[in-house]
Amino acid sequence: MAAHRAEAVTARGASAHGRARLLRRNIPLYVMFLPGIVFLLLFKYIPMGGLVIAFKEYNMYDGILGSPWVGMDNFNMLFNQMQTVTIIKNTLMLSVLSLVIGFPVPIALAIMLNEVRKAWFKKSVQTLLYLPHFFSWVIVSGIVLEIFSLESGVINHWITRLTGEPFPFLYEPGSWVAIFIGSGIWKEMGFSAIIYLAALTTIDPHQYESASLDGATKWQQIRYITIPGIMPTIVLLLILSVGKVMDVGFDPVFMLQNEVVSNVSNVISTYIYTFGLQRAQFSLTTAMGLFENLVGLILVLTANQIARKFNQELW
Amino acid sequence: MKDTFGDKVFYACNYGLLFLLSLTCLFPLLHIVSLSLSDSHSVMSGFVTIWPQGWSIESYRQLFVNTRILPAFGNSVLITVVGSAISMIATILTAYPLSRNYFIGRRFFTLAAVFTMMFSGGMIPHYLLMKQLDLINTYWSLWLPAAISVYNLLVLRTFFVNIPEEIEEAARMDGCGEWRMLLRIMLPLSLPALATLTLFYAVGYWNSFMSVLIYINETYKFNLTVLVQQMIRKQSVLTEMVYAQPDDVAEITGEGIKAAGIMVMIIPMLIVYPLLQRYFVKGVMLGSVKG
Repeated sequence: MAAHRAEAVTARGASAHGRARLLRRNIPLYVMFLPGIVFLLLFKYIPMGGLVIAFKEYNMYDGILGSPWVGMDNFNMLFNQMQTVTIIKNTLMLSVLSLVIGFPVPIALAIMLNEVRKAWFKKSVQTLLYLPHFFSWVIVSGIVLEIFSLESGVINHWITRLTGEPFPFLYEPGSWVAIFIGSGIWKEMGFSAIIYLAALTTIDPHQYESASLDGATKWQQIRYITIPGIMPTIVLLLILSVGKVMDVGFDPVFMLQNEVVSNVSNVISTYIYTFGLQRAQFSLTTAMGLFENLVGLILVLTANQIARKFNQELW
Repeated sequence: MKDTFGDKVFYACNYGLLFLLSLTCLFPLLHIVSLSLSDSHSVMSGFVTIWPQGWSIESYRQLFVNTRILPAFGNSVLITVVGSAISMIATILTAYPLSRNYFIGRRFFTLAAVFTMMFSGGMIPHYLLMKQLDLINTYWSLWLPAAISVYNLLVLRTFFVNIPEEIEEAARMDGCGEWRMLLRIMLPLSLPALATLTLFYAVGYWNSFMSVLIYINETYKFNLTVLVQQMIRKQSVLTEMVYAQPDDVAEITGEGIKAAGIMVMIIPMLIVYPLLQRYFVKGVMLGSVKG
């Protein structure tokens, strides 16, 4: 032991020796890190390079590098076609609605759970509400389509009994959007509440005690103690969600949509899948993907800048 | 301290609302269970709510006999087990160097990884790459691009960083190299984190849908999610046709089979749910530690 320590001291003394030692220590680290480097390069950064086909007229024969350049043609086409403009609008509409309606739900849920005094009740509610998070969208969409189905769905069964006419929930744009957003909230509300529940535990219980001694009602306590107490977490998660505004998940749209509501349900990701992969319009859809990614990147960076003003920045 | 009248109203509303919310999670599940266990006549007439009508396991029999659900289940297991193993090995090996402050280029590589969370090549360039690498129709196209989730990587890196330095120094004194340090010291000390991340990856692979849809074309290689989704879709086309010609209704038992298919996906999830709930909640807390 003593010998080792002495060696360490002399190593620190001689800086050239120290540098050699540092390099030697790094060799095994780089061996470990090799798969990581290969992964990042091959599966993250090379596809980014593949984005150049957004500025080309890609064909299989010439490949990514050989295909001819076309400048901004693909982007001009995207922003001038009715169809693609509608798709961009739909993407924004669905995600902004999901954000505005869905964001407060887990906060409210966490505050409600936090006010529950009976442990068994809290635990049972949590167990049920966390569950849908683990379900794939296939399960969730299957359940939704089953329940709201026009002819055999249980809801329409009761509506038909009451009014004589089934309601085409999945075939009306308004109700489809409501179902889409509702099922997203249903799936994630419980699980998203966890992070707020964690934040709530950091609030000092003495604050509530003295507030209620001063005669503050439950509502006032929530408004003046609870919400300010978890404000940093709220801001942080809001930033994260704003950065994801362009990114309407592929799975829920793909599984819940149908031809009748395609005017509101076609979004960027489903467009790229249908036109890019199924109809081989590689360049045009890559341009769409690049646009989506760039806007997303700008949103994240801007949101972080704004957060910095409140000292809540992520980096 | 006694509750005021206002407080009592508050608690009553709170409990009531939470109870109703729980029911919105419970009833759809009971409904699907009931559909899958009812006879086709009750299913089509819409009488089934949250209790099976005219008990029958015909839907399950049809599902297992007439569809490829069993091989698809096997595929899902294979994708999940091998995928999680690959991902864990890759994540551990990458996280450890990033957690060492003497790792040259640590800041650069961390930034390079974090940047990929905010910007990516997107669907088409990834597809073209897979084609170039000749991985289409192999499960490697699912495993390799998903090998490392940067989020999980950062969680594990933070966990390694937070292991007390005294332990490492003591090991170092005994002449412990980097590999032994990782395998003998760091990994045994991070078992809870490793369990959490394994579950993160496993649930991700089990539920993987879009990548299978994109990269796998041969139907016998489909996993459960894609197979069941296609069943649901085909059936709804079928029932739309039936809606136009109500005479054929008696022929169709599709809704029950669909429900049974959904159940095959739900049941494994319910079995591991206690484990998931425990570790995922921890995982969320791990992630909230700012790295």
